[in-house]
Amino acid sequence: MLRLPPLDVVVAGSLTDALQQLTTQPAARPLLGGTDLVANLKTGQTKAKTLVALGHLADLQGVDASGEVVRIGAAVQLAELARDPDIQALFPALAYAVGRIASPQIRNAGTLGGNLCLDTRCRFINQSDLWREALGGCLKSHGKECHVIPGGGGCVAALSADSVPILMVLGAEAEIARLQDGALVTRRTPLAELYDSDGRRHVRIADGELLVAVHVPKLPAGARAVYRKWAVRQSIDFPLVSVAVRVDLDGAGKLRQGKVAVGVLGPRPRLLTLERWAGRAIDEVLAKQVAQQVFDRSHPLPNVLYDHEYRRERLRVEVLRALRTWIAPAESER
Amino acid sequence: MKGPLSANATARDLHRLTVDDSPVDETPVVGSRHGRVDALDLLTGVGKYADDLVLPRMLHCKILRSPHAHARIVNIDTSAAEAMPGVHAVITGADLPMRYGVIPWTQDEYPLALDKVRYVGDAVAAVAASSEDVAKAALARIAVEYKVLPAITDPREALTRSDVKIHEENKHGNISKQVTLAFGDVDTALTQSELVIEGDYQFHGSTHAAIEPHCAVGHVDGRGLLTVWSATQVPHYLHRELGRVLQRPSHAIRVIQPPVGGAFGGKSEPFDLEFCVAKLAELTGRPVKCLYTREEVFLAHRGRHPFQMHYKTGFDRDGHILAVDGKSLLDGGAYSSFGLVTTYYSGQLLGSPYTFPAYRFDSTRVYTNKPCCGPKRGHGSVQPRFAIEVQLDKAAVALGIDPIELRRRNFIGENTQTIGEFHIGSSGFLQCLDQVEHASGWRHKRGQLPKGRGLGVAGSTYISGTNYCIYPTELPQSAVQICLDRSGRVRVFVGTSEIGQGSNTVVATLAADELGVELEDVRVLAADSDLTPVDLGAYSSRGTLMAGNACLAATRELATKLREIVSEIWNCPAGDVGLAHRKAFRLSDATVWMPIQEAFILAESKLGTLGAVGSYKTPTQNVHGDYRGGTIGASPAYSFTAHVAEVEVDEETGDVTVLSIWCAHDCGRALSPTLVEGQIEGSTYMGAAEALMEHHRVLPSGLRTDGQKRDTGPGVEGLLAASSLLDYRMPTSMDVPELCALIVERPDPRGPRGAKEAGEGPLHSSIPAIANAVFDAVGVRIDDLPITPEKVLAALKRKASQTAEVR
Amino acid sequence: MTAAEHPGAARAVHPRDHQLLHFQLNGEAVAVAAPPHWTLLEVLRYQLNLTGTKQGCDKGDCGACTVRLDGAPVLACMTLAALVQGRSVETVEGLGVGGEPHPLQRAFAELGAAQCGFCTPGMLMSAAAYLDDLATRDAPAVDAAEISAVLGGNLCRCTGYTKIVQAVAQAAGEVIERTQLLAEMSNDDGGMP
Repeated sequence: MLRLPPLDVVVAGSLTDALQQLTTQPAARPLLGGTDLVANLKTGQTKAKTLVALGHLADLQGVDASGEVVRIGAAVQLAELARDPDIQALFPALAYAVGRIASPQIRNAGTLGGNLCLDTRCRFINQSDLWREALGGCLKSHGKECHVIPGGGGCVAALSADSVPILMVLGAEAEIARLQDGALVTRRTPLAELYDSDGRRHVRIADGELLVAVHVPKLPAGARAVYRKWAVRQSIDFPLVSVAVRVDLDGAGKLRQGKVAVGVLGPRPRLLTLERWAGRAIDEVLAKQVAQQVFDRSHPLPNVLYDHEYRRERLRVEVLRALRTWIAPAESER
Repeated sequence: MKGPLSANATARDLHRLTVDDSPVDETPVVGSRHGRVDALDLLTGVGKYADDLVLPRMLHCKILRSPHAHARIVNIDTSAAEAMPGVHAVITGADLPMRYGVIPWTQDEYPLALDKVRYVGDAVAAVAASSEDVAKAALARIAVEYKVLPAITDPREALTRSDVKIHEENKHGNISKQVTLAFGDVDTALTQSELVIEGDYQFHGSTHAAIEPHCAVGHVDGRGLLTVWSATQVPHYLHRELGRVLQRPSHAIRVIQPPVGGAFGGKSEPFDLEFCVAKLAELTGRPVKCLYTREEVFLAHRGRHPFQMHYKTGFDRDGHILAVDGKSLLDGGAYSSFGLVTTYYSGQLLGSPYTFPAYRFDSTRVYTNKPCCGPKRGHGSVQPRFAIEVQLDKAAVALGIDPIELRRRNFIGENTQTIGEFHIGSSGFLQCLDQVEHASGWRHKRGQLPKGRGLGVAGSTYISGTNYCIYPTELPQSAVQICLDRSGRVRVFVGTSEIGQGSNTVVATLAADELGVELEDVRVLAADSDLTPVDLGAYSSRGTLMAGNACLAATRELATKLREIVSEIWNCPAGDVGLAHRKAFRLSDATVWMPIQEAFILAESKLGTLGAVGSYKTPTQNVHGDYRGGTIGASPAYSFTAHVAEVEVDEETGDVTVLSIWCAHDCGRALSPTLVEGQIEGSTYMGAAEALMEHHRVLPSGLRTDGQKRDTGPGVEGLLAASSLLDYRMPTSMDVPELCALIVERPDPRGPRGAKEAGEGPLHSSIPAIANAVFDAVGVRIDDLPITPEKVLAALKRKASQTAEVR
Repeated sequence: MTAAEHPGAARAVHPRDHQLLHFQLNGEAVAVAAPPHWTLLEVLRYQLNLTGTKQGCDKGDCGACTVRLDGAPVLACMTLAALVQGRSVETVEGLGVGGEPHPLQRAFAELGAAQCGFCTPGMLMSAAAYLDDLATRDAPAVDAAEISAVLGGNLCRCTGYTKIVQAVAQAAGEVIERTQLLAEMSNDDGGMP
């Protein structure tokens, strides 16, 4: 069987301790549920000497919906989040999206913070040592060339986190902590700016920093979001097509503003706005125009294990179907 | 004498089985509702599978595998690995320089590559170390120098390229096996046909993906006995090959097959790990275990061969088949495995359930630099069955005949011969068609379903074991030894391999009825070469028929003795004594009975220890053809199957959802109906998964024959596209259709109590039934499996543009 | 649980050193030493000889190693043993009471829901958590689609899942019956003067 390489596990005593451990311990990485990290350590695609366990830290817990902005701790388990009554009431599409991540067992261990920091995925990297050795490596492992885009200079492994597109259209911000002169300080970054286009390091969280929470503003009246995921299987799979659509309607039922976030392209989700359709009613014609624009501006790559041209076609249909929920509101959000 | 016999002296002190005073229950155990006799062992975590075995001082073995699809081994330096603390032994091909292979005529594998590697994953060296971690670290210190050779990953290239030879000693280039057989005048029949359906069909590769990875433990004890515990479904063939490769006499080897966590054909021949643990145990004097990683399971493969098929079928205007002409190219991968048999099966198993007045097949299996293909559930016949059943559907559409009716018209009948001279005994094929037609609501639904929904049908047949052993022998194919004793228990020693299909339950069921005990009173001890007689293994659906008949032979001998002894007490003819449910009783007056334990005690005191052996050999007269290859694929009895699938096709996305699938299967007699249903459901599910989702795909070579670079770029050739249970997408509980298993019983005189196979037949027609239903739903044919959304969508677009042109 | 209370918060051990783990295993306290890079699966199988929990895919893709951690089904192959410090683990060996099989085990045996039996321990642990959850609901009902979703992370290669879902449904029916019976009894008690 595949085993973890020898490494150390440090259970952090506090957030401050965790931040210290991460900078002082050799080749340290933060560990929440471990459902992504442990797999990647076992296959050897990720290296670490120390894992700093954070899952129990109080600062990373809880869903607080008392204010105008909902705070979700990074260590909140996906299963917990999916069944949280506040999340279900305020952001049903988020509850749905995290409820579709992987499998029940993984949702019982995996966390929202872990999903936001999920490593990018590619059919040339998510493989065994033998496989990657036979390939000669790639930009993200020990090699020098990209097999997705031959001759390409950057790693284009795909962001595959189900929670990211939906949190982006909801306008979420990441709360990131670090130590400054021994004192704990935090910064906020909109999710739309959290991701970078380098698949080797696509989350803009610096060494010595930790994601501690996500803040999601409550939706104004007339606003709603929908998440759609396509994968071959109904369970276990990462998304092959992943898209979130948000529409804010005005009092007259016309489009005030809207956003579309597309995942599983490259390392960074694509965010589009619907401003050119502002003032229009959502009908099949508009839905098709939006779907076409998303299609035109999104280029799935042969990075994950499915025909990329089909994924592009599929994306068009998924956007269309998301928008149709505004045309026929009785239809489910799925 | 009424009521239980008063206890006799010899029995007085013994523990008694509880026997109630209720009237004799003559309901047979055979056909009753029960699960696996050994289920609770597994359900409570008590049963020990191979990796659950831990022996004192056990070492761990890891195998170094080739990163090249095709390369010559120039040098191997193991010294650095050997010098590592915790490393006890390192072996390479030179330590085991004996060829092996499950088919004696095509042995072309070495436990560890001797001079060449032929696919990415070919075994090169093995380490025994104090832990898996140390063994893995040691692998990294083995230096192998390779000379990389051009690789072939396309079977058509294997046919044409003379510059690359995967097996130098092979006489016919890269052709592993070629079979052409013709019966009747095919060409004339095709010319005279009213309708000829001609088409190309692509069947993709798929793999078994049993949840338990292969695992073996080897140990040489103080007496010099080598014991190998292995997750195998062919302990007897493993035993033979261990003897040959290790040059060790059979009696100095013991093979034990613990419970196996699924196999489906994927564990039906010896593998590198079994030889490695045996050799390393010999060298180190300590027990050695090897457990495959999941990736190694995918590399070991032996899965379904990809087939490229071209079929021509001629019909008269009433839909009767006049001739079938099939040509197949089989992509065999790096080695032979069962390939000789696969190549014959690809044609020989198609001869029923329909009459072929003229038939020709031409099948060629080639070597490629890929993981080796072999037998997967429905070995060799699932692929051509797909082609022919789609051909029949196309004919039904062209002729305006209901597809079920067309199949009825072509039914070959019972007690007859196929054109290849295989003897068909019982056949419930028509009943199977009736059942699926009725259960699916075919008559009122067909043509009446909403847009995007459709129904499809297909039929098939399969063997209940093959007539001959894999090696030439006059010895029995299956045998049992049975002991009864004063405890009222029955012990059955049988060589069969329980791999989840229920073979232990089959013999227990038969023994319980014959000897008048309850199912729980039968102890089955299976697959231990020191303790059980030889059975050839769990392959070709042979277990129920062969071990069942062997079991009946032994139990009937014992039952006769019991009846005689009891009849003496009752002063009645032996034929008037019945045995059932822990009682011996008078058939003419069931109020006269005694506990069966009393009968055992009486018999044991009169006759001494009670035991009997039984064995089974297949009939050889008038069951197959006399021509070369005429025996391959012949079986004592054949099962029959029909499927109807109801699908929904999403025309916007191309998604195909199988809503329900009905499978009626003629298993002769359902000894354990619950288990038969389980086989029908499991087979049907596995077929549906192959039809829609699964693909064991090897990435193509970096260069084409014309020297042009392929899109995939260098480096990927021979690598598996999917080598984890994440990437190899097999259905979850949320992805399966409603499965409706319908048992048809058409007892066969050659089967034990009439029973035939149920484990593999019900896979076949599941796939074409789905393909035919997709056509019924949206009018497009996907003849290139698997039926994926992008193919459906592309076909729908083509159809729309063609329709537009016509307008 | 706050950080200060966390029993594992003590101090790091050096790589390759064994660390001492204390946790509840099938209702009993255990102490076991294991290297820090071992997963819970390795500790259960190779340290504690509880081999009922199976290993199928190496890395969280199949569900064969499912155990319950503080009641919730998780994958033992993905759970670092260090993280179970002070927590409660249940495995297939802990199902059933006093040598009597759990209703799920009986139903699986009777309905033929275990063929090769290799995915079964994991399947049982996912199903057991569902049954416990069902018992806490106000108006529990057996729903095949819900059962399929509950088992969505447990691959089975033998059955096509039909008999597994049936067996879980049968056991769930028993739980509901028992829960309702208990509820009626407590209602009756409540009505007593």
